[in-house]
Amino acid sequence: MSTSDAALAIPSPSRSFWNGDYGLRAWLTTRDHKRIAILYALGITGFFFLGGAAATLIRVNLIEPTGSLLTAETYNKAFTFHGVVMVWFFLIPSIPATLGNFLLPLMIGARDVAFPRLNLASWYLYICGGLFAVASLLAGGVDTGWTFYTPFSTMFSNSNVFLVVIGVFVTGFASILTGLNFIVTIHTLRMPRMTWYRLPLFVWTMYAVSLVMVLATPVLAMTLALIALERLAHLGIFDPALGGDPLLFQHLFWFYSHPAVYIMILPAMGVVSEIIPCFVRRRIFGYRFMTYSILAITVIGFMVWGHHMFVAGQSMYASLVFSIMSFIVAVPSAIKVFNWTATLRKGAITFEAPMLYALGFIGLFMLGGLTGLMLAAPALDIPLTDTYFVVAHFHYVMVGGSVMAYLGGIHYWWPKITGKLYSEGWARAAAILMFFGFNLTFFPQYILGYEGMPRRYHSYLPDFQVLNVLSSAGASILALAYLLPVAYLLWSLRAGAAAGNNPWNARGLEWQTTSPPPKENFLSEPIVREAYAYDEPAP
Amino acid sequence: MNAHATDKVAPVSRYLWVLAALLALLALTAGTALLKLGAFNTPLNLGISVAKTALVMSIFMHSTEGRRLTFMVSLLGFIWLAILIGFALTDFTTRALVPAPW
Amino acid sequence: MNVLSQNVALAASAPMVSEQYDDARQQREAATLGMWVFLATEILFFGVLFASYTILRVLYPQGFAVASRHTDMLFGTIETGVLLSSSCLIALAVRAVKLDQHRVAVWLLSATAMLGVTFLVMHGFEYYKEYTEHLIPGIDFKQPAPRAHAVELFFCLYYCITGFHSLHVTIGVIVIVVLAVRVKNATFGSQRYTYPELTALYWHLVDIVWIFVYPLLYLVGRSG
Repeated sequence: MSTSDAALAIPSPSRSFWNGDYGLRAWLTTRDHKRIAILYALGITGFFFLGGAAATLIRVNLIEPTGSLLTAETYNKAFTFHGVVMVWFFLIPSIPATLGNFLLPLMIGARDVAFPRLNLASWYLYICGGLFAVASLLAGGVDTGWTFYTPFSTMFSNSNVFLVVIGVFVTGFASILTGLNFIVTIHTLRMPRMTWYRLPLFVWTMYAVSLVMVLATPVLAMTLALIALERLAHLGIFDPALGGDPLLFQHLFWFYSHPAVYIMILPAMGVVSEIIPCFVRRRIFGYRFMTYSILAITVIGFMVWGHHMFVAGQSMYASLVFSIMSFIVAVPSAIKVFNWTATLRKGAITFEAPMLYALGFIGLFMLGGLTGLMLAAPALDIPLTDTYFVVAHFHYVMVGGSVMAYLGGIHYWWPKITGKLYSEGWARAAAILMFFGFNLTFFPQYILGYEGMPRRYHSYLPDFQVLNVLSSAGASILALAYLLPVAYLLWSLRAGAAAGNNPWNARGLEWQTTSPPPKENFLSEPIVREAYAYDEPAP
Repeated sequence: MNAHATDKVAPVSRYLWVLAALLALLALTAGTALLKLGAFNTPLNLGISVAKTALVMSIFMHSTEGRRLTFMVSLLGFIWLAILIGFALTDFTTRALVPAPW
Repeated sequence: MNVLSQNVALAASAPMVSEQYDDARQQREAATLGMWVFLATEILFFGVLFASYTILRVLYPQGFAVASRHTDMLFGTIETGVLLSSSCLIALAVRAVKLDQHRVAVWLLSATAMLGVTFLVMHGFEYYKEYTEHLIPGIDFKQPAPRAHAVELFFCLYYCITGFHSLHVTIGVIVIVVLAVRVKNATFGSQRYTYPELTALYWHLVDIVWIFVYPLLYLVGRSG
C-alpha cells in the first residue's frame, strides 16, 4: 500500500473487514476482533430484547394493584429472568465486548488483540452460557431473584436454579477471558509513542473494567459452583441447619456483584469521555484526574460490597466500614462528573445524537449516583432496602447511565463500524423520547420506594397505583424509544450516506483509518498525538 | 528475529537446593503441628506456607526475574484475596460484639 | 548436519509470530503476562474456598480441629512432598527444553506427570477411607455429636477444595503428557519454549494451592 493511496483515503470496498471472507463459516471461525465485536453485538441485542420482554411482563402486571396478570410465582420468575439476562447477558458484556472489542486495537494502533483465538472462544462461551439461561427459562424458569440468595436457592427453590447457574458460570469465563485479553493487549500492543497518558479515556476504562472482570468474576464462578454443588450433592456450607451461614453466601456473591456494577458503568464513562470532547471541540478537562478517578473507582469499588447487606444481619461494625468506603468511592465518580461538566464550559457545543445521549448520561448518572449515596448511609438504607427506591436507583445508573452511554457509543461509532451515516433526525428524536420515557418510568419509583412499596412483589397497596401506572406508561414509551434505533440503524445499512473516514472530525486513532476499517486496521501508520487534541487540526 | 534461549538458565543445583528447602519446610510444618503451640500453630503453619510459596514463585516460576509488571501481577491475586477475607472478617469477628439490632 | 538442514531444523522449531505482534519477544511477553493474569484468576477462584474456610473456622474453631484430625496426615504430608517434587521436576524440564536437551526434558515431564498421578491415586485412597468412615456429606454422613455439624461443614469444604484441586491436577497431568509428546517431536526447543513455560506456571500454581491447603485441612488441632 503506497502512501499516496492512503493519503487519498478512498475506502476500497473490498478491503473493508466486512468483505473478503464471506459466509457463515468464515464469521463463526473469525479471529478478527472487529467481526467478533459484531457477533457479540448480535447476541447482546437479542438478550436485551429478551430481558426487555420480561420487563414488559413486569410493568404490565404492575398496572393493577392486584397484579392479576401473573401469579406470584410467575412474577418471581419474570423478575429473576429480567435480572439475570440484563445483568449477565446484556449489561456486563455490552460495551466491553462490542465497542471495546472493536475499538481497543484501533485506539492503540494495534492490528488485533493479544489473543484473537481466545477472543473468539469468549464469544462462544458467552453464547453457550446464554443458551443455558434460555434453557432454564424454557424448562420453567427460576424464582430466586438474580441474586440467588441462600438457603432458598440452595435448599428450597424447586425451579431450574442449576441450569441458570451453569449458564452464568460459563458466561463468566467469557468475561474473564475478555478481561485477560484486554489487559495484555493494552500492556503489550500499544504502538510506539502511544504512551499511557496519551491513551483515550475509553482505553483507560477498558483497562480498568478488565481488571475488575479478571479479579471479581472468578469469585462469582466459585460461588455459583457452590450453589450448584449444594443443590446437586448436598455439600452445604451455607446451610443454617449445619451452622453454615447464608450471609457467607451474600459476602461472596456481593464481592463480585458490586464490582460488577463498576463493570457496567466504567465503560459507559469511557464512552462519554470520548463523545463530549468531540461535540464540544475541546480537550477533556482534567485528563490525569480522570485516569486517577478511573483507577480509584476500580480499586475502592472492591471494598464496598457490604452496603448490600446492611439489613441482612452483618455486624454493625462491618456496616460502618462498608458505609464509609461507599461514601469514599463516590468521590472519584463525582470528580468525573465535574470534569465532564467543566469540559462543556466555553465549548462550541452541538447536539448530535451521541451528544444527546452523553448529556443525558451525565444528568441521569448523577441522580442515580446521588441516590446511591443516600443508600450508602445505613440510617437511610434500612427503611429503603428492598423498596422501589433501590430499584429506581440502580435503574438510573444502569439504564439511564450505562444503556444511554452504550447507545451513544453505538451512534458515535456507527459510521466507523458500518461506513454509513444514520438519520440524524430520527436519532435525536429517539434520544429525546428515550430520556423522557426513562424518567417517566423510573422517577415515580423513587417516590414509590420512599412511600414504602416493596420490590419483588407482584401486587401492591391500591394507594400506589397512580405512580405505578405512570411508570408503566413510561415503560411503553421507553420500549418504543428502544425500537426506533433498531429501525433507523438497520435502514442506514441500506440507504445511509457514505460516512467517510472522520464524519465527526474527531481525534483518536480509529478516525485515521477508513470507515469501515480494513481487516488489518490501518493501511498506513496512524499519527499519535496528545489525547483529545481538538485544538489542533485533524492529522 | 527468532527467540533465543535466555542466557539466564540457572544451574540444576539451584533447583535441587530449593526442593531441599521446600521439603525441610514441609517437615517443619508437619513436625510443629504435632507440638502443642496453642494459638501459634496456625500462624506458624501459614507462615511456612508463605515461605514455600515465595520459594516456588521466585525460583521455579521466575516471578522476580522477568518484567516488574509480571511480578506485580503475580501478587495481585493474593492481595485481592486478602481484601475479600479481610473485609468479610470485619463482619464475622464482630458479630457477637456489635450485632445488628434485628 | 550441513548448514541448510540446520537452518531447516531451526526454522522448524522457530516460533510462528502471529500478525498482531511485531516480533517473537513481544509475543512471548504477551503470553507470559496472559498466563500470570490467568493464575491471578485461579487464586481468586480457589480463594472463595479459602475465604469460606477462614470464616467457618473462625466460627467453629474446635469443630474444625476435631474434623481435621479425621484426615490422614501421613497421606497428606506425602502428597505435599509429591507435589513439591513435581514442581521441581517441571521447572527442570523447562530448563532442559531451553537447553535443547530433549530427552532429558521428556523424561522430566513424564516423571512430573507420574507424580501428579501418584497424588491423585493417594487422594483416591483418602476418599475411599473417608467413605468407609461416614465422613462424606450427603453420602451417609454420620459423626458423633456435639460437633457433628462443624465436622460436616469442614468436610463439605474438604471435598470442594480437594475436588477442585484434583480436577486441576488432572488437567495439568493431561497437558503435561501432551507437552511431553510435543517436546519429544522437537516442537519446542531453545528457539521456542513459551508453551512449556506456561504449562509449568500452571503446574506451579496447582502446587501453591496445595501448599496452603495442606496445613489448613490436615494440620488443625494435631497436637490434640
